[in-house]
Amino acid sequence: MDNDDYRLIRFMRRPWYEWAAWLLWIFLEILFAQAAVASSKEFEPRAATLFWLMFGVLLLGGITSYIIRRDRLL
Amino acid sequence: MVEKDRKLITRREFIRIAGLTATSVAAGSLPSDNPAKAAAPASQQQLSATGKAPRPWWVKSVEKPTIEIDWDQLQRFDSRKTMRSTGFAALIGKDEYEHLLRVAEENEKQRILDHMPGYTLKDQALNAAQSTGARGARSFLGPQNAQIPQERGVPPWSGSPEEASRLLRVAMRHFGAATIGFVELNEQTRKLIYTHDPDGKELVFQDVDQATETATQRIIPQKAKWVIVYTVQMSIETVKRAPTAIAEQTTLLSYSRGRDIQEKTQEFLRGLGYQCLGEATNNALAIAPALAVMAGLGELSRLNRMITPEFGPMVRVFKMITDLPLVSDQPIDAGIFEFCKSCKKCAEACPSSALSLSDEPSWETEGPWSNPGHKAFFENSESCRTYMTEKAGTNCSICFAVCPFSKKNKVWLHSWVKAGVAKLPFLDGFLRSMDDAFSYGAQKDPEQWWWQNLPEYGIDTEQTLRED
Repeated sequence: MDNDDYRLIRFMRRPWYEWAAWLLWIFLEILFAQAAVASSKEFEPRAATLFWLMFGVLLLGGITSYIIRRDRLL
Repeated sequence: MVEKDRKLITRREFIRIAGLTATSVAAGSLPSDNPAKAAAPASQQQLSATGKAPRPWWVKSVEKPTIEIDWDQLQRFDSRKTMRSTGFAALIGKDEYEHLLRVAEENEKQRILDHMPGYTLKDQALNAAQSTGARGARSFLGPQNAQIPQERGVPPWSGSPEEASRLLRVAMRHFGAATIGFVELNEQTRKLIYTHDPDGKELVFQDVDQATETATQRIIPQKAKWVIVYTVQMSIETVKRAPTAIAEQTTLLSYSRGRDIQEKTQEFLRGLGYQCLGEATNNALAIAPALAVMAGLGELSRLNRMITPEFGPMVRVFKMITDLPLVSDQPIDAGIFEFCKSCKKCAEACPSSALSLSDEPSWETEGPWSNPGHKAFFENSESCRTYMTEKAGTNCSICFAVCPFSKKNKVWLHSWVKAGVAKLPFLDGFLRSMDDAFSYGAQKDPEQWWWQNLPEYGIDTEQTLRED
């Protein structure tokens, strides 16, 4: 099929556990963001900072992992 | 041909359709007139038959409290032996007591002059202002101003104990109580009523119709056999600044509010045609934490106060006795006492080393201020009281402030942590470490409190509605 008129692109399906890992990632991001915002409202600045830190580290981890996986999948 | 049949719309038409669709969806989501269809959580609409709001799923009702009680050994206690009352002066001697008071007075003056945060003139003035309501006279029999049903020419209120419990709970919540529980007095629970009040009057149960008070006694009718126990929230933001005048004033405020609720409840029950006997002075009538534990409001803790699932230790507990038949509540198990065994945060932070660091509770008491007959982490109340009088110059409350259960519950994670404490006790050590890491027990800046935008009384009255 691969000739001058057509290009064949193959997409690899993500395995189920990767979808589960992304769901967990989103869940934890929401949890940490909520905890950070609520801690600020509760006048707990150190707790808020730590929760934002955890949110940020997890966000960076997620982005990095997405970029690496995207290259592999494509 | 195909091109002609396709319906084309302009951008303006698209925006109009999208707008109409969004408006329709929004209108459909507006609250319905039918309360059953409203979107609010069930707890905000509906109480149980006895007026109880739903509690978190991890709070379990149990037959016996989580501390062991030897009802044969336990006897009625004289409140004058406690270190809150005249017992402290009696124990250390009048001269030593007066010496401590002089030291406290000098310290207070010096702290004001030094502008010590939390002890400045404005802090002390606030504290003194709260003291006015807290230390005012209470009454065993109540104000007795409300009309009784006979005066209105109508019979007394009648209804089932379930209805009575609901009425009383709803009324008391409206008067300002945070949580309310009931305990029926029997041969065992009657031992939790003091033999003498702090003012020296004897509390006597007699087979009479009406409660009375003489120069030496307070007579409780045998038929008055239901104890009403209630909590009043303390402002966590002030207690987190303990020990200072800022922190102490919230204790005084809660005593003042407790007294107000007592008087109103006494009048409410009088208006229904029943008797309600209250605390004649602060901390009178009965052992508050014990009855609160029996009523399922919380569990006894290492700091020898009750810790509630909703507010942690950030409450003051009050009690009354009535002859209106009520439905008794059961003790609870939310894993709190079990957590205390491994936590020890309060005992480690206690500046007077008054709290026990033992791994397990004991039947052995610490001094005459302790009531034997229950297995607990008994404290050295003399040491605690000496520190408060001589060093702090106010009440202390550090144990309340550092307790991991002292949280406001806006953070979802904290509700799940409490569920973990109740159901996964092997996590207790880890959770205590996380509490340290997040610095929840650290003392806050007293000066900052004067800049905080806080609700009335500094408390969140909707906290219980968010719990379930």
